[in-house]
Amino acid sequence: MEARSVPSVAHLPLRERLRELPAVRWARFHPESAAAGVIGVLVLVLIVAYGVHDVAQTGLNGLSLGSVYALGAVGLTLVYGILKLVNFAHGDFLTFGAYMAFLVNVTWGAPLVLGIVFGIAATAALGVAFERIMWGPMRTRKAGLLQLLLMSIGLAFLLQNTIQFIWGSQIRRLDVNVIDTVEFLGLRIGRTDLIVIAVGFVTLLSIGAMLKYSLLGKRMRALSDNFDLAETAGVDTSRIVLYTWIFAGGLAGLAGVLAAAVTDVKPQLGFELLLPIFAAVILGGIGDAFGALAGGIVLGLVIEWSTLVIEPRWKISVGFAVLILVLFIRPQGIFGRARAI
Amino acid sequence: MSDGTAHLETPRAEARRTANGERRILEVEGVVKRFGGILAVDGAAFDVAEGSVTALIGPNGAGKTTLFNVITGFYRGDRGSIRFQGREIVRRPPPVIARLGMVRTFQITKALARMPVIDNMMLAAPNQPGEQLVNLIVRPGAARRREREVRERAGELLALFQLERLRDEYAGVLSGGQRKLLEFARALMAEPQMLLLDEPMAGINPTLGARLLEHMHTLREERGMTFLFVEHDMEVVMGHSDRVIVMAEGKVIASGPPAEVRRDRRVIDAYLGGGATVGNQA
Amino acid sequence: MTPPLGITFEAFTDFGFWTSVGILAGTYTLFTLGLQLNVGFTGIVNFGQAGFMAIGAYTMGILVVKADWSFWLALPAAVLVAIAFGLLIGLPSLRLRADYFAIATIAAAEIVRITAQNARELTGGNQGLFGFDDSWNDLSNTIEGWLESAGWSNPETLFPLFLVVWATALVATALLHFAQRSPWGRVLRAIREDEDAARALGKNTLVYKLQSLAISATLGALAGFFLAINLNFLNPEEFEPLFTFIGYAILVLGGLANYWGVAFGAVIMWTILEGTRFIDLPISAEREASVRFMIVGLVLILLMAFRPQGVFGKKEEMVLGE
Repeated sequence: MEARSVPSVAHLPLRERLRELPAVRWARFHPESAAAGVIGVLVLVLIVAYGVHDVAQTGLNGLSLGSVYALGAVGLTLVYGILKLVNFAHGDFLTFGAYMAFLVNVTWGAPLVLGIVFGIAATAALGVAFERIMWGPMRTRKAGLLQLLLMSIGLAFLLQNTIQFIWGSQIRRLDVNVIDTVEFLGLRIGRTDLIVIAVGFVTLLSIGAMLKYSLLGKRMRALSDNFDLAETAGVDTSRIVLYTWIFAGGLAGLAGVLAAAVTDVKPQLGFELLLPIFAAVILGGIGDAFGALAGGIVLGLVIEWSTLVIEPRWKISVGFAVLILVLFIRPQGIFGRARAI
Repeated sequence: MSDGTAHLETPRAEARRTANGERRILEVEGVVKRFGGILAVDGAAFDVAEGSVTALIGPNGAGKTTLFNVITGFYRGDRGSIRFQGREIVRRPPPVIARLGMVRTFQITKALARMPVIDNMMLAAPNQPGEQLVNLIVRPGAARRREREVRERAGELLALFQLERLRDEYAGVLSGGQRKLLEFARALMAEPQMLLLDEPMAGINPTLGARLLEHMHTLREERGMTFLFVEHDMEVVMGHSDRVIVMAEGKVIASGPPAEVRRDRRVIDAYLGGGATVGNQA
Repeated sequence: MTPPLGITFEAFTDFGFWTSVGILAGTYTLFTLGLQLNVGFTGIVNFGQAGFMAIGAYTMGILVVKADWSFWLALPAAVLVAIAFGLLIGLPSLRLRADYFAIATIAAAEIVRITAQNARELTGGNQGLFGFDDSWNDLSNTIEGWLESAGWSNPETLFPLFLVVWATALVATALLHFAQRSPWGRVLRAIREDEDAARALGKNTLVYKLQSLAISATLGALAGFFLAINLNFLNPEEFEPLFTFIGYAILVLGGLANYWGVAFGAVIMWTILEGTRFIDLPISAEREASVRFMIVGLVLILLMAFRPQGVFGKKEEMVLGE
C-alpha cells in the first residue's frame, strides 16, 4: 500500500484548503515572524504615506499607551493562566492604584514617586486581600469558570462604585507636570509621558527577567502551563498563588498610576482600559506573560498609528478590531508559545 | 460475506474487497499526527473488514487514542488517507463522519450529566425532524411521531442493557459502569455501521463488562456491525477479537489473529522489552 | 412626624413608579431571555447582548428618522440586521472556547457602541437620536382609548407601553419554554453539557449555536426597541457593557436554565436599581447612584458564593455541572 504524502484536500471545505497553502503553512508555524513581518510592512507603508516624523511621533504615544497595556496585561494573564480566573475586576485594580496615588500625591501633597510606590503597594495588598476573602475559598469549593467570572463582574461593580462613592465621579488630575516637553531627534514628547515610558519599560524588563531567570518566575510559568502537574511535582502552590496576586495587583496599580499621570483620575479609568488589556492578553496567548508584554506594546503602537489614518476618536475601536481578528485567525495568540486550544 | 451479489457492486466497493473476499469497511493509510514537537502517530496503516471485531492494542503512549481521534475527525490528521466504506473522510468534521455510520465512544465517558438518561438516549437517534426549528412550526405532526418512535426505541435499548429503571434519572448520578453501558446503548441508538470503542472495559466490573461483550457479539452476528476497540485488558482482546492491530510509538507494528500476534517478537518487545508472551499462558 | 433617617418610601405607593419599573423590568426580561437561551441552555457565553440591543434600536431609529421608513417596516428590518450581525460574529467565533467567545462578543458589542458614538451624521453621536416614535405614540393613544372605554379614567401615559412590553415578554418566554422541550431544545442542552458528545452523535453543533445566537439577537433587538420608545431618544451610553453585566445579574438571580425565573430576576433587579432612586437617603444623588451599583455587585458576589443556582435554579445544575 502506498502512503500518500500530502493529504488530499479536494473534499474539504475552503477554509481547510486555505490553511494548506505554503505561505499560510509557514505563517502557522512561525506566528511571531509572520506578525512581525506584517507590522513591518505596515510601518513601511505608513512611513511612505505620512513620513518618518509622524510615524515616530505617534509611535512614541503608542509606546506610552502600550506600556500601560503591557503592565496591566502581564498581571491579568498570570491570574488567568495560573488561577483560571477571567478577572473582570482587574481594570478596577488600575483605578484603585490611581486613586491611591491621588491620595498620596494630591490629598497629602507628597511627590509623585511616593504616590507610585503607595499605589503599587496598596493594590498588591488589595489583590492579596481578595484572594484570601474570595478567590481562595471559591477555588477550594471547586467553583466553576462561569461562577468565578460572574463573581469578578460583581467585584468590578463593587470596587468601581465604592471608589466613586468615596471620591465622587468628578475627573481629577495627579500633581504632575503636564507642560514641560522634551525634544530629541526632532520628536517632542511630554516630560511625564517620557517618565511613563521609562518607568513602564524598566518595570517590564525587570518582571520579564524575574519570570525568565528566577526560581519563582520559573515556578509561576510552570503553574501557568499545568497547575496540577506542578503541584504533584511538589511546588508550594499556595505561596506561588500569593506572589501571583502581589505581582498582578502591583503591576495593575502601577499601570493605573501611569495611565492617570498622562490622562486623568476618574472612576472609569480602569474599566475603559480593561478591554484593550484583554486584547493584549489574547494577542500574547493566555497565561503567557512575555506574550502579554509584547501584545500590550504592539497593541498600543497599532492603536496610536491608526490615528494617522482615521480620526482619533475611532482609535479604540481599532484595538477591538485587532482583537476580533486575532480571535478569528489564531485564538491561541501570536506572541506567545503556541498551544492547542 | 462472500455471496453472489459481488458482481452488483460499484467499482469502488469492489476495490475494497480483500483477498479472501471480505469487504474493507475502514482503510487507514499513512496517517501522521503531530503535536508541536511530538509525533503521536507516525504513518499508521491498517484495514478493518466489515462485520469483524478488531482490537487495537499497544503500550501507553503508542498513539491509539490519538489515531481514534484522527479517524473520527476530532483531530486533524497532518497526512494520510482514511476511507470509510470507500469514501475519503480524513479531516472531515465529526458530525459528518458520525452520520456516515461511524460512531465512537470516549475513554472518559461523555454521559450528558445534567440530562436524564432517556434524553441522553433520544438525542442519539438519527433523522429527527423535531431537531430542526423550522419543522417544529411547519411539520409538527411528523416531529411528534418520530419523537414517539424514538422514545420507544430508546426504552427498548435501555431495557436490553437493564438500565430502564434509571431512565428518568440525571445521567450524572449513574455509576461509572452504568455510564459506560449508557454510552454504548446511546451509540447504538445512532444506528451505526461501525462502532469505535475507546477502552470499553476500563473501570467497569466484570459482570457488566461481560454483558457489554455479549451485546457486541450479538450485534455483529445479527446486524453485521463492525467493531474496532482500544483495550488494555488482554483477556478481552485475545478472547473476543477476530483480529488484533498492535501499535507502538505511533506506528502499526503488527496485525493478525490474536494467537499470531501474541507470539510476534516485535509485539513482545514493544510491551515488555523481551521475555514472556503477551496475555495469558494457557 | 419625621420619618427615621429622613428616609421616605412615598414612591413605592406611586403607580407611575411601578409602571416605570415594570417597563424596565419587561424590557430587560426580553434582553435576558436571550442570555438564558445562550448560557443556560446552549452553553455559549454571550457577552455582546448590549450590542444586539444597540443594533436593534439604532437601526430602527436610523431607518425611521434618516431614511423616512415606516416605523412598522423598520422594526422587522432592524431585527434582520441584528440577526445578520449575530451570524457574522457567530460564524467565526462560535468554534472558540467559551471564554474566548465571551471576549469576542464583548469586543463586537463595543465596536457597535463606539460606531454609534462616532458616526455622528448617522446616529447623532453623543447628542442622541430622536423623533422615531410618532407611530408608537399613535398606537399608545389608541390603547389608552381602549382602556378608557373599558372604564379606567385617565390611565397612566406609560401604561400602554407597560402592557405591550410585558405581552411581548410573556409570549417570548412561553415560546422559548416550549421550544426548549422539543428535540431541538434537547440538542441545545446536549451542546451545553458536552459539545463533543453531541458532535460524535452526528449533530451539526455550529448550526444550533448560530440559531441560538440569532434568536438571542432578535430578543436583544426587541429589547432595544422598547428601550428606545421608553427613553424617547437613543444615546450610546445606554448600550455599555454595564447593561450586559446587569443582564447576567438578572440571569443568575432568577436562576440558570429557567425561563420563567428571568422575569422574576428582572423585576427584583430593577426594583433595586430604580427604587433606591426614590428613597430619600441623606446622601447626594450621585452617591445614591454608586450605592445602587454597589448593591448589584454585592448581590452578584453573594449569589455566586452561596446560591449559584439563583432563586429558581436547580441545585443539580450547579453540583453536577462544571
